[in-house]
Amino acid sequence: DDPEAGKKVFAKCAACHAVGEGAKNRVGPHLNDAIGRTGGAIEDYKYSKAMMEAGAGGLVWDEDNLKAYLANPRGLVKGTKMAFAGLKSEDDLSNVIAYLETFSEKQASAATPPETVTEPEAEAAEDVAEVTPSAAPQDASASVETPAGTEPGAGKHFKLGRAATPEEVAAWDIDVRPDGLGLPEGRGTVTHGMEIYDENCASCHGDFGEAVGRWPVLAGGQGTLQAERPEKTIGSYWPYLSTVYDYVRRAMPFGNARSLSDDDVYALTAYLLYLNDVVTDEEFELSKENFTEIQLPNEPNFIDDDRQEEPFYAEKKEPCMENCRPGKAEISMHAAILDVTPEDAGEDDQPAGGGID
Amino acid sequence: AGDPLITEIQDWNRYLGEGVDARPYGSPSQFEAHVVRKNVPWLTSDAVSSVNFTPLHELDGIVTPSGLCFERHHGGIAEIDPAQHRLMINGMVEKPLVFTMADLKRFPRENKLYFLECAANSGMEWRGAQLNGCQYTHGMIHCVMYTGVPLRTILEEAGVKPEGKWLLAEGADASAMTRSIPLEKAMEDCMVAFGMNGEALRPEQGYPIRLVVPGWEGNMWVKWLRRLEIGDEPWHQREETSKYTDLLPNGKARRFTYVMDVKSVITNPSPQAPITHGKGPLVISGLAWSGNGRINRVDVTTDGGRNWHTARIDGPALPKALHRFYYEFDWDGSELFLQSRAIDEDGFVQPTKDELRSVRGSNSIYHNNGIQTWYVNKDGGIENVEIS
Repeated sequence: DDPEAGKKVFAKCAACHAVGEGAKNRVGPHLNDAIGRTGGAIEDYKYSKAMMEAGAGGLVWDEDNLKAYLANPRGLVKGTKMAFAGLKSEDDLSNVIAYLETFSEKQASAATPPETVTEPEAEAAEDVAEVTPSAAPQDASASVETPAGTEPGAGKHFKLGRAATPEEVAAWDIDVRPDGLGLPEGRGTVTHGMEIYDENCASCHGDFGEAVGRWPVLAGGQGTLQAERPEKTIGSYWPYLSTVYDYVRRAMPFGNARSLSDDDVYALTAYLLYLNDVVTDEEFELSKENFTEIQLPNEPNFIDDDRQEEPFYAEKKEPCMENCRPGKAEISMHAAILDVTPEDAGEDDQPAGGGID
Repeated sequence: AGDPLITEIQDWNRYLGEGVDARPYGSPSQFEAHVVRKNVPWLTSDAVSSVNFTPLHELDGIVTPSGLCFERHHGGIAEIDPAQHRLMINGMVEKPLVFTMADLKRFPRENKLYFLECAANSGMEWRGAQLNGCQYTHGMIHCVMYTGVPLRTILEEAGVKPEGKWLLAEGADASAMTRSIPLEKAMEDCMVAFGMNGEALRPEQGYPIRLVVPGWEGNMWVKWLRRLEIGDEPWHQREETSKYTDLLPNGKARRFTYVMDVKSVITNPSPQAPITHGKGPLVISGLAWSGNGRINRVDVTTDGGRNWHTARIDGPALPKALHRFYYEFDWDGSELFLQSRAIDEDGFVQPTKDELRSVRGSNSIYHNNGIQTWYVNKDGGIENVEIS
């Protein structure tokens, strides 16, 4: 049992579970002192009904039952809300449990394993929509909630549908990922891409990707992301080239989707790189082989969602109710001044800014 | 003497009306013809890739009538015969499968009421008060009762392999809309829905099936759903990179901003629904919602946030669904600055627009859940304003 190796295995768990000093409940409960803990025991975590019942029935986590649970969560606790398929490798199981033991005061040996895990009634075990009526409408009786045991079909198989054939999967599965997964065989040059672009794309996107009307701008805009009017193009904003290939292939030309060949899409993608100065050679040829060598300049500037750390969310302060601000409210901006509300607006009215996409 | 509507016999009181089969699938009264979705033509380049808005100021309760649910299409409304529709599951599954609509209707199903809000709802307000009416400022939201199959049931039928961590959902329309969804969410509470408000989905809402992703941004609720792929990484599709990412003042952009934050708006009175009855009893009504779950409380102010009063939530308080609130008081005919502020069950408080801008600037487009202000003048006319 190797806790260090287990730490790596735990990366699969870390999307939902925290462990270590100050660990809090996330999608799943925190795992400090997980070994020796009774099932469903953390008070401020909303467990499935099945897990609560398993705990009430005597489930105390030890190395053996945790191993069985992590190998097949719904096999041990039918109706658990842990949506994890299970660890298949015996080594991974032992190692991740060894890792968790380093955060548990009670070692596996100290816990008293129950003889059997109570298998709750199938119907009751189904994961009840974790209801805690903490909301307080003044007429509480109006709060209609799903009755107990109503998640249909959990953990069952119905033998519905039929096998998809390889040809069917190939026909629809055309998505492409940044690592190149899904790229078809093929190639195309900047020069060829320009011909296809002029014929199929320029009427909306402009001769050089500058766009006609409010159709999307495809090129330029580098250095504008902090400006008052950022111009978000493939070159200035998009993080991955794979998105260009994927989107053009699935949805362009607008109104005639899927009409371009895979080679045509390579050529168009090459031309869009050229319009955005990512490549400068008109003879450049983009292909499945060299595709993932191309990086778009703005890729490093994407970050994950951290809204909950913004001060007005992080503090969760009880808001002020009386005398919250001095003086009378003063209007600082009227909608009427730049009124572009459709009922009143003429054909030529333009927005002050913003938009839906 | 008296009201002729009472003292004289009216046509509808004398002559017969239409019989039972005159309106086999009924429509609203002819006197409600103004209650319609509306678009803002300058927002987009073409109506087939555009949006229109729910007339929130004409509605009450928490359920949106199917025909008034806002529309957002990226390639127009796909018209699909359900007999010709297929749903495929492929990728990291034990067995790739194809389902017909008849197959899908043999799985156990569930009924859930959820709001669906576009991530760009109120997006035009980042730079300041711009549109006069909650239909335009907040109308990219609706709330209906969905009938369908838990997504988890369908995925388990194909058997998700342990390395599967992400789901790609794809539509059958001309934009072949795609979004990557974390598998935890897919297994938690997503649905493949074929019904809304007791009837089949409307064509513009994805008939015959759409994905339901409770509490998360509307773009992920893929309509005309035809394919579910399991993978070990997100795909970084167009609608999760170049769109639906939130640009911050330092040039960085947030991605995977899924949850729709705690939010509320006063729907009546509002710019399209001014006060016409003069002084006296006034009902202030509005909607509150949160992608985190239920709404715990809504406060209303009539003086622009100097003093707040806790409003009354009426009707069901369901997680990730609209909540209806009311605040009744005697209007003395003086100017009002109306605002509402919602607090959700996780303790998150709806921020002001200035608080949002202090962190996010004004280029984000998406996820504007700031407190909305309506200015009421002495005649009862109402305008969208920002105040200090």
